[in-house]
Amino acid sequence: MSQYLPLVVLLALAVVFGILSFFASRLLAPRRPSSAKEAPYECGIVPSREPPERFPVSFYVVAMLFIMFDIEIIFLYPYAVNHSTLGFYGFWAILFFSVIFFATFVYEVARGGLDWGPMQRYRQLATDAAMVTPERTLASTVRRVGTEGREPESSSPSAA
Amino acid sequence: MNDATFLEYVVFFAAAVMILGGAVGVVAFRNPVHAALGLVLTLFGVAVQFVAMEAHFLAAVQIIVYAGAIVVLFLFVIMLLGVDRSIDLSIEPLNVQRPLAAIMSVGLLALIGAAIVQSRDALEINPGTGVDTATATGDNDANINQLATNLFGDHVFAFQLTSVLLIVAVVGTVLMTRKWPKGAEEPVEDVA
Amino acid sequence: MIAIDPLLEGRLLWTPLLIVILKVVVVFVIGLVSTIFMVNFERKMVSGLQNRIGPNRAGPRGIFQALADGIKSFFKEDLLPSRADRVVFRLAPFLSFVPAFLIWSVIPLGGEFGPNDDGTLKDGTVVWFGEVTRVQLADPPIGILVVLALSSIAVYGIMLAGWSSGSKYPLLGSVRASAQMVSYEAALGLSLAAVLLSAGTLSTASIVAQQDSFVNWNLVSTGIVPFIVFLIATTAELNRPPFDLVEAEQELVGGFNTEYSGIRFALFFLSEFMGVVTMSAVIVTLFFGGPQPLFLGDVNVLAFLGPLSGTAWFALKLLGFLYLFVWFRATLPRLRYDQLMDFGWKILIPVALGWFLLLAALREFSPDGTFADSLRVVVISLAVGAAAGGLFLLALRVAQNNRLEADETPPTREGVTT
Repeated sequence: MSQYLPLVVLLALAVVFGILSFFASRLLAPRRPSSAKEAPYECGIVPSREPPERFPVSFYVVAMLFIMFDIEIIFLYPYAVNHSTLGFYGFWAILFFSVIFFATFVYEVARGGLDWGPMQRYRQLATDAAMVTPERTLASTVRRVGTEGREPESSSPSAA
Repeated sequence: MNDATFLEYVVFFAAAVMILGGAVGVVAFRNPVHAALGLVLTLFGVAVQFVAMEAHFLAAVQIIVYAGAIVVLFLFVIMLLGVDRSIDLSIEPLNVQRPLAAIMSVGLLALIGAAIVQSRDALEINPGTGVDTATATGDNDANINQLATNLFGDHVFAFQLTSVLLIVAVVGTVLMTRKWPKGAEEPVEDVA
Repeated sequence: MIAIDPLLEGRLLWTPLLIVILKVVVVFVIGLVSTIFMVNFERKMVSGLQNRIGPNRAGPRGIFQALADGIKSFFKEDLLPSRADRVVFRLAPFLSFVPAFLIWSVIPLGGEFGPNDDGTLKDGTVVWFGEVTRVQLADPPIGILVVLALSSIAVYGIMLAGWSSGSKYPLLGSVRASAQMVSYEAALGLSLAAVLLSAGTLSTASIVAQQDSFVNWNLVSTGIVPFIVFLIATTAELNRPPFDLVEAEQELVGGFNTEYSGIRFALFFLSEFMGVVTMSAVIVTLFFGGPQPLFLGDVNVLAFLGPLSGTAWFALKLLGFLYLFVWFRATLPRLRYDQLMDFGWKILIPVALGWFLLLAALREFSPDGTFADSLRVVVISLAVGAAAGGLFLLALRVAQNNRLEADETPPTREGVTT
């Protein structure tokens, strides 16, 4: 158990370093909070929406698959370290395990559990070509928001 | 009491405080993310106990698999569903769950108590006997070697069964997250 | 088999305890200094690769720039966003930078290697103050698994930083980042298994001691593929370019640490750069023999440095990898998220698993390494591998077809009037 002593000492030192940095910063740094500074970062506009509440389920699938792989990997280590004494028996055991495991992985892939993003097929020439017609102007593609109640822009800037 | 056993007591109680504190936190925190962090603390305490019992490989697995994968999955679910804000925890979906929990905790307590009473004699055995520990043999890999011979020798059938268990987990995931093909009984929203 | 660190066996006396404390302080200082060095090194190298000057004001050739930046961050206001979860927001920087620090403890940083007078090989132990020890902070029985455990803890720092900020860009960045780190951790673990197969031990000191010549370096003895997988997985694990989707500036502002400022941000920054140094050190330890010298014939060209020659070799190899990471950053464009996930799951993981099984089969069925035996194993493995690969491609095909069936409507671009 004492083999871990240096680890614990380094852990303590690292934590103390972090805490001391905070204290130093608290002494040295200015503290002038304002509601604008503390608002969530929104590139300058006033934050209007709550952060997104739901994410694609693919993230969950990835985490679930990772648990599987983690367990597989953890079983590989005792075999890898000890393969010389385990011999053929161990090899067939780990091979059988890996085959079942690989089959599961293939099933997951075949069911589309690891598909992200749009398919390549979606890039159709017709759609792309439609993007560059003379009918498409700034006025037809960009929707103006937040202009309600503002002064209408003067038609030429030089008139001012 | 010599230095070594004193140290063992210190480690044991520190880890026990971590385990119990984390466990209480899991139940008591209202915010699910805080509860998940309490669970991590508990798992860490268990890992420390494993180290104290010279089960080094198990300690590493405890952190890598439980803290590194399973609680990450929990956190994903909490974040993905947004339950951290939107769900009122005071509503109980199952009315029987509180009495059921009470019965089960009493049963568990009785079981642990019985185990302690039964195994009082076993405590007489010196720690580390019968197990090749790193400090006893001076060999770093004594622990994992012993585990490997057990896992791939006596318990190889159980080892293979875990792969079946993993299949069940994956099939479950696939079914839950399934994308329904067109024309199936999916509750279709407006496709056009 | 090399035993555990002899320094810490039996009862702890004052001399070993003092050596431990000395080692901890030295490793701590090395950690900080190397990180500051890395920041400067990266900025200078990137500027060179991009044909500009880079930092050149603070100190000669700008060597104090990173130090100045670090000191400056103490004087910057430390904001706590109004929607933040106050406890977790304060905790997250610690969860990020403490694991980065702790990885140093299992890295062999030096030692005496080469043949003894009686022809046996030195195992890297040194004698300090009359005590036999290693130039390594700790050699716990689980050795290299400490690195794996710590890198799985590091996920929490990023994940919780993004969540606790209560802001949308950090949250998006952190969910992306944690899924990415988790995915590539699997590839990392699988390629590590190949190294363990060749090393036959978990202890980092033993892994280094056993790579005593170039052909015994795990880079060669595991056949390069695990090294490449490990290198790519490490890059992704560190969120370094080209896998830096966490802080894809164009879409996520700054990623998980957008809401962090002042010293808290500095700690994230520190852990990021320290991660680069420590993971390079892990690569050197696992695949390049750590502090083992590279003999030219019989000559250790750095032997004139005496007891420091091991450390010098280690630093030299480390520097090579630090440069490699900078080179990646300057050369490779960032991946798209679906490409990133596909690459990790559908290429790296199957390749790493297949290679591990091939190596295991080679060791089992061709223990002497005779050509005929090895050829037979390789041919059979290739056949099995081809079948597995075919099955896998079929699965990809099925997935593609299912998607086509499920969704046949071509995409409409919202807001486009044609």
